Amino acid sequence: MAFKQGFAAAQPWVSLVVRVAMAVILFAAAIPKFQDIPQSIRAVRAYRLLPEEIVPFVGTMLPFFEVALGIVLLVGAFTRTAAIVWLLMMAAFLTGVIWAWSTGLNIDCGCFGGGGEVAEGETNYPIHLLERLGFIALGTFLAIWPRSRFSVDGLMAPAAEPDAEPALDSSTNEARK
Amino acid sequence: MAKNQGGSSNAKAAAARAQAQRSVKAQERRTTIGIIVGAAVAILVFGGIVWFIVQSSSVPGIDSDELSAPAGADETGGIPVGTGGVVGEDVPEDAPRVDIYEDFMCPVCGQFEDTNAEDIDALREAGTVAVYYHPLSFLDRYSNGTQFSTRSANAAATVADAAPEAYLDFAHAMYANQPAENTEGLSDEQIEQIAIDAGVPEDVAATLDDGLFTKWVIAATDKANQDGVGGTPTVMVDREIVEQAEVPYFQPGTLRAYLEGL
Repeated sequence: MAFKQGFAAAQPWVSLVVRVAMAVILFAAAIPKFQDIPQSIRAVRAYRLLPEEIVPFVGTMLPFFEVALGIVLLVGAFTRTAAIVWLLMMAAFLTGVIWAWSTGLNIDCGCFGGGGEVAEGETNYPIHLLERLGFIALGTFLAIWPRSRFSVDGLMAPAAEPDAEPALDSSTNEARK
Repeated sequence: MAKNQGGSSNAKAAAARAQAQRSVKAQERRTTIGIIVGAAVAILVFGGIVWFIVQSSSVPGIDSDELSAPAGADETGGIPVGTGGVVGEDVPEDAPRVDIYEDFMCPVCGQFEDTNAEDIDALREAGTVAVYYHPLSFLDRYSNGTQFSTRSANAAATVADAAPEAYLDFAHAMYANQPAENTEGLSDEQIEQIAIDAGVPEDVAATLDDGLFTKWVIAATDKANQDGVGGTPTVMVDREIVEQAEVPYFQPGTLRAYLEGL
């Protein structure tokens, strides 16, 4: 019981940290791509997964999409939906990394700018995969417990999270400003 | 919730009204925030699409007629250098074709040049191979915003176009004076001076910073990437990438032996 109550009190704060961390990760991923959009396109092309017709479009739009999702997470609007979008995105990236590994491509993931092919031995797929899994863990946590401190969702209370866990003390949700 | 025991029906009705008002207000807030967030996301995505359209229309493809390519360059973005060391002259047609993709900013390309430039020059002069150089701009992000890769590749294309006999000397001199990554690279003035020292006429050297072939460089870099060149240096023989696992060409003499054996 004590653990449950402790968790109930801590969860909105943990979710806040998770939410902001995800936003920061997205901004960190987008900024170097903005500085070199052609490189972002080349990084997408290096996976040899998408047809050439859409590679330039995907490479260009990726940082815009990352920033958009980052802003939504930072302000905490539609948190659960945003977390699910994040998870879909991570699933796509994870597929890309596993594909690249399994086909023996020597590429850098390009996750935080750069990317493209690298010399043999410079690829570090296990580290990339661990990083991906960590990001997926963040997204999963937020998708299950989207209520967090200082969120736009909180301003929308009381009807904001009809599917939130009732055990998680919705009165604090209403009381916060 | 309001008190739910012992109240009159009036109090109950009032409480229900208040509850209804609260939920209407909450609904309004939700709609407003939904509109704001939706608009912000839409503006960003729209901005991205506009950016994409502007960018893709500003640089035509390598095979487009609108693009001004340096004289002698082919549809792969290659600058052929013939047996006499002049761009586009005396390029052997029956010899194996060797494509060399390099970025003037790339330190490994500098090593490649140190290791192999003399061998390649010798084989080219003997007519053993037909050599096509591809100056690329992969590494613009390593010159503190001065776009050294693009500037230097454009300079090389300009020399190939207007001073074809000085192309090789200029390219070799650029590697001899190669700047380190994450510096500003060479200034336009330094590139001009290197060109003059390499035998480029002064009136041509003065045009190296005019960006005459900047779009061609971008298109050629894009074409190279589409052809499978993911990094520099890359060597192709008869348009197939030579893997270092097969030909470890950073060991002196290895590339020469391989090319002689073709």
